[in-house]
Amino acid sequence: MGPLAPNEIISENTNFLLAFFIGIAFGWVLESSGFSSSRKLAGIFYGYDAVVLKVFFTAAITAMLGLLFMSAFGWIDLTLVYVNPTYLTSAIVGGVVMGAGFIMGGFCPGTSFCGAAIGKIDAMVFIGGLFIGVYGFAFTYGWWEKLYLARYLGEPKISDKLGLSDGLFGLFMILVALGMFVVAEWAEKKFPREEY
Amino acid sequence: MKQLKLLALIIIPLGIIIAAMPADKVNHSRLTPGELLQEAGSGVQFISPDIVADMLVRKDPSLRLIDVRTPEEFETYSLPGSINVPLSNLLSEEFSDILNQDAYTNVFYSNGSVYANQAWMITRQLGYENNFVLEGGLNYWFGNILSPESPSQTSPDEEFARYDFRKSAAAALGGGGVVSTDAASPSPKAVKPPVTAKSKKKPSGGC
Amino acid sequence: MTINTSKDKSRKYLNPYLGGVLLGLVLLSANFIAGRGLGASGAIKSVVATTIGTVNKDAIGTMPFMAEYAESHSGNPMKSWLVFEMFGVIVGGFLSGAVAGRLKLKVEHSPKISSRRRLIFALAGGILFGFGSQLGRGCTSGSALSGMAVLSLGGFITMMAIFGTAYALAYFFRKNWI
Repeated sequence: MGPLAPNEIISENTNFLLAFFIGIAFGWVLESSGFSSSRKLAGIFYGYDAVVLKVFFTAAITAMLGLLFMSAFGWIDLTLVYVNPTYLTSAIVGGVVMGAGFIMGGFCPGTSFCGAAIGKIDAMVFIGGLFIGVYGFAFTYGWWEKLYLARYLGEPKISDKLGLSDGLFGLFMILVALGMFVVAEWAEKKFPREEY
Repeated sequence: MKQLKLLALIIIPLGIIIAAMPADKVNHSRLTPGELLQEAGSGVQFISPDIVADMLVRKDPSLRLIDVRTPEEFETYSLPGSINVPLSNLLSEEFSDILNQDAYTNVFYSNGSVYANQAWMITRQLGYENNFVLEGGLNYWFGNILSPESPSQTSPDEEFARYDFRKSAAAALGGGGVVSTDAASPSPKAVKPPVTAKSKKKPSGGC
Repeated sequence: MTINTSKDKSRKYLNPYLGGVLLGLVLLSANFIAGRGLGASGAIKSVVATTIGTVNKDAIGTMPFMAEYAESHSGNPMKSWLVFEMFGVIVGGFLSGAVAGRLKLKVEHSPKISSRRRLIFALAGGILFGFGSQLGRGCTSGSALSGMAVLSLGGFITMMAIFGTAYALAYFFRKNWI
């Protein structure tokens, strides 16, 4: 019965070792999908490359369906799976800051490591920026502490907030995502760019 | 577009299937026999009568006393504010909301602790949480809470503190009533296992 | 669709939907094995915490943000799931790039701007993102992607904020990309 580590079916060290392998798979898929290229990543915001949208939402849906099906078969205990907590204010403000960072830098932490791994200097510089940013936050934490801790709502699930069952919300998300994919493909045809 | 159609063809039916499945209520992880044995052996299910008395006196709203004896015994005497869920009907549909929840602290009690313990075992095996057993049952309750023994002169301070607490609790809760002992129930000595909030391995993660 | 100009000998990228499914499976296995989703910014935090601790042992104490982190990772902040995962990401990215012939030391930028300009923006973007990821308790991988998979409201909100803001600001930075 999963998840394995919280149920102590595997030891902590095994968990860390597997983390390494999961990371390899993660990095491989990201790079193979083109996430090591900042121009591909930024493409979604200008219409010419929707790889971010397609990969991101397909992945989220695949994992979500996988978890729900596994739970239905009794293979995983979802209460032991980490659900990100919701601190309303910092979730929004942090997201806004990250959005600005994304459009300026063309990377996010995970993809920047992929880019750096294949030799992209802009990715390496981005990573340098990440360290500065994290340190800066820790250093000035006192200024943000109130904001950081504001409006803690626990770990609500979207489905609960909307009053839907998890499965029903999943279906809804699938339909929305597919709709977005259709629009994205249209945009890619309309604003083509050569390969980069 | 072709891949998109293929993708849609696969995930829409999956989505429909998962949407149609009934959702589970609260937490449903049944315990394995080994786990249950371990929990039962460690005594985590017991809640000290002093704690319960304190909650009653303070009118703590999260406390819910559950009398698992027969309705007749319940009529004769029951702890203030308690409800009756006879052991024989424990698994009936009408009580499942009471037993499988995470809002109240349910405390099973019976005359001794055998039946209350049985109720705990059964519900715990189903994965229900927040259910406890009143240590010593009603027998201990009457003998020690409602009519506490006065400590001898040489007893340690905490015994005096406990005696004072129990005296005032007894006054608040009213005197004793009719008691009947059931088959095999010795009233245990005041061994107080720590009543820790059942914290299962909380999922951890991060950015 | 993007056209592969034939003179570069690198392999084409994976079909994005296929990539998405594979990524989803990786995420699923992470949840199954470790009970948590993927992530990235947390690893940066670990390294920063370790660096601060190494350079000046007492400094951690004066930083409340790092202090509670150091506590929950008693001993060694580097011994965290995300750190191991990120090492894997580097290896995996490298291997994939190697197999596909994409290994090349270069600054990737739009032909309309200079390398220098790209690097300046990369740095600025990184600083902002690093800061924002701590505030938002996660980045796109940890909060948005993994959060969505478990239907977390916080993850969803952060994702909307990230993409919404990026779209809103896209116009002002368009020269850098197109």
